[in-house]
Amino acid sequence: MEQTDILIDCRSVWKVFGDRSREAIGAITGRGLGKQEVLKEFGCVVGVSDASIEVRRGEIFCIMGLSGSGKSTLIRLLNRLIEPSLGQVLVKGRDIAAMDAATLRETRARHIGMVFQSVALLPQRNVLENAGFGLEVQGVPRDERNRAAEAALAKVGLSDWMLRYPSELSGGMQQRVGLARALTSDPEIILMDEPFSALDPLIRRQLQDEFRQLTKELGKSAVFITHDLDEAIRIGDRIAIMKDGVIIQTGTAEEIVMNPADQYVADFVAGISRLHLVKAHSVMVPATGPVDGLPRCSPEADIDALIGQITATGSDAIAVEEDGRVLGVVTTRNLLLGVRGDAAAAAH
Amino acid sequence: MEDFVTTFDSTVDNALFWLTDHAAFIFDGARALLEGLFDAVQWLLLLPPFYVTAALVGLLAWRVLGLGAGIATAVALAACAAMGLWSETMATLALVIAATVIALAVSLPLGVMAGLMPRLDRALVPVLDLIQTMPPYIYLLPSIALLGFGPATALVATVIVAMPPAIRLTSLGIRQTPHEFIELGQATGVTPAQMFWKIRLPFALPSIMAGVNQSLMMAFGMVVIAGIVGSGGLGETIYGAIRTLDIATSINASIAIVVLTMVLDRVTQSLARTK
Repeated sequence: MEQTDILIDCRSVWKVFGDRSREAIGAITGRGLGKQEVLKEFGCVVGVSDASIEVRRGEIFCIMGLSGSGKSTLIRLLNRLIEPSLGQVLVKGRDIAAMDAATLRETRARHIGMVFQSVALLPQRNVLENAGFGLEVQGVPRDERNRAAEAALAKVGLSDWMLRYPSELSGGMQQRVGLARALTSDPEIILMDEPFSALDPLIRRQLQDEFRQLTKELGKSAVFITHDLDEAIRIGDRIAIMKDGVIIQTGTAEEIVMNPADQYVADFVAGISRLHLVKAHSVMVPATGPVDGLPRCSPEADIDALIGQITATGSDAIAVEEDGRVLGVVTTRNLLLGVRGDAAAAAH
Repeated sequence: MEDFVTTFDSTVDNALFWLTDHAAFIFDGARALLEGLFDAVQWLLLLPPFYVTAALVGLLAWRVLGLGAGIATAVALAACAAMGLWSETMATLALVIAATVIALAVSLPLGVMAGLMPRLDRALVPVLDLIQTMPPYIYLLPSIALLGFGPATALVATVIVAMPPAIRLTSLGIRQTPHEFIELGQATGVTPAQMFWKIRLPFALPSIMAGVNQSLMMAFGMVVIAGIVGSGGLGETIYGAIRTLDIATSINASIAIVVLTMVLDRVTQSLARTK
């Protein structure tokens, strides 16, 4: 198979639900009808509208949206649990809609793991058998799949629970088993459908950190659905924000916080702390005076670090330096504006 | 109007006569098969002396229900023998077992298919409704016309009555697999066969076992009614006792029926729960 750095390439995908979805799609492509008109004219609900995302090798791609935004539909289009009405989904360069049943099964079994909000652990099986389910389905012999399942369970810290049944585990532990089950088949891509939403905040944060660390360590790529912007920022390398089936903005957490695409996104990011998100290069201004006496920082230093430097040195500005060259300076005024998330004003 | 009714009746009669005349070999064969099955089960049940059977069933009840239930079962079965009704009790048990086995052999696969194919399910529901709303002894009539007096007729009528609950509950069980587990199966890349055996069936099992228990109980009710057509066993004992106003014997036979019913019901129910 062709080695590509884009593992999932989702091109202008639409999903229209309803009895007359075919006609509706015809009207969308032919007459350029929008969501509201489609609902009025055909009684069809547009779940996902013209969504394009690219998931690169090794990245965690978050899709953030409130309930009804189409994020759960979008993630199911990626492994064809839901058939797209229009558009293309390429998984490792191959059109998933064109696959026959056997190839699709093979792709799902080997290349795309999935973790569900409801966890969906089979209650009749113990933890080890649940974790090995993917390999069992592929016909891997018991010894071999148990070894793989044990290794995956060890990674999520559940080695002592292998012979327990799902009903004996707490919610957080159950979701770890769900993650271990997805890891056991060693797929390149893991689809995470709001996996931590039902957990209490402390456990959720812990699992978020573990998940990110584990994914990076194993070199996996992940698509992570969430309704929680904090979670998306904590976990995601890049974030797509969805509303009413449309992806409004895609970018890194910093890009989204500093340059929200519209008022909806701006309202969302209003409450997010900038301390660790905003970097020196976003708030610096060109140096106007001598910079020799100023403390130095790298362009990637975050506001929290800059505040630390300023309070420690007593200086009221810091020079941003890369490869021995001064790019600009960050004054206390820039810092304060940066904390407020006012990128445009900060860079003046 | 009267002409029409007479014509209808005579047509039905003639059709039945034609069947018994021309297709006799089919019904003779069916009768031989059914009686053979019944005889085999009955022979097996009467092979050991009554105390061995009572002790074995008691042991089973002990394993699945507990010590008290085990002892009570063994004692109650021994009481059936003490009343002089052992062979009748075993004959009834043989009828129930044979009828339930045949009924399940048909209704479990049919129920699974109905669970997987909504259209088949929709077609089956009115048929099952009809079977269950008719008074059960109706089914004795066609079978006695075609198969004659005896256990074969009792078996056919009992099988008809015992099938609906197993079909319904099997279909229900297969249909009610939680959606998230269907999605899990799809996302994991299961084949259709794996989807059935590894995901749908385990979730359906409690419902299917409840259906088996219900079928067994329906079979029990019918087997007693089938005493009228010479089924043998406790049903026939009661029917004979009623005709001669022999109240003592009819009460003894009723006690034996209650014992058998309770033992079978409790044991199968608890097997269904542990599964």
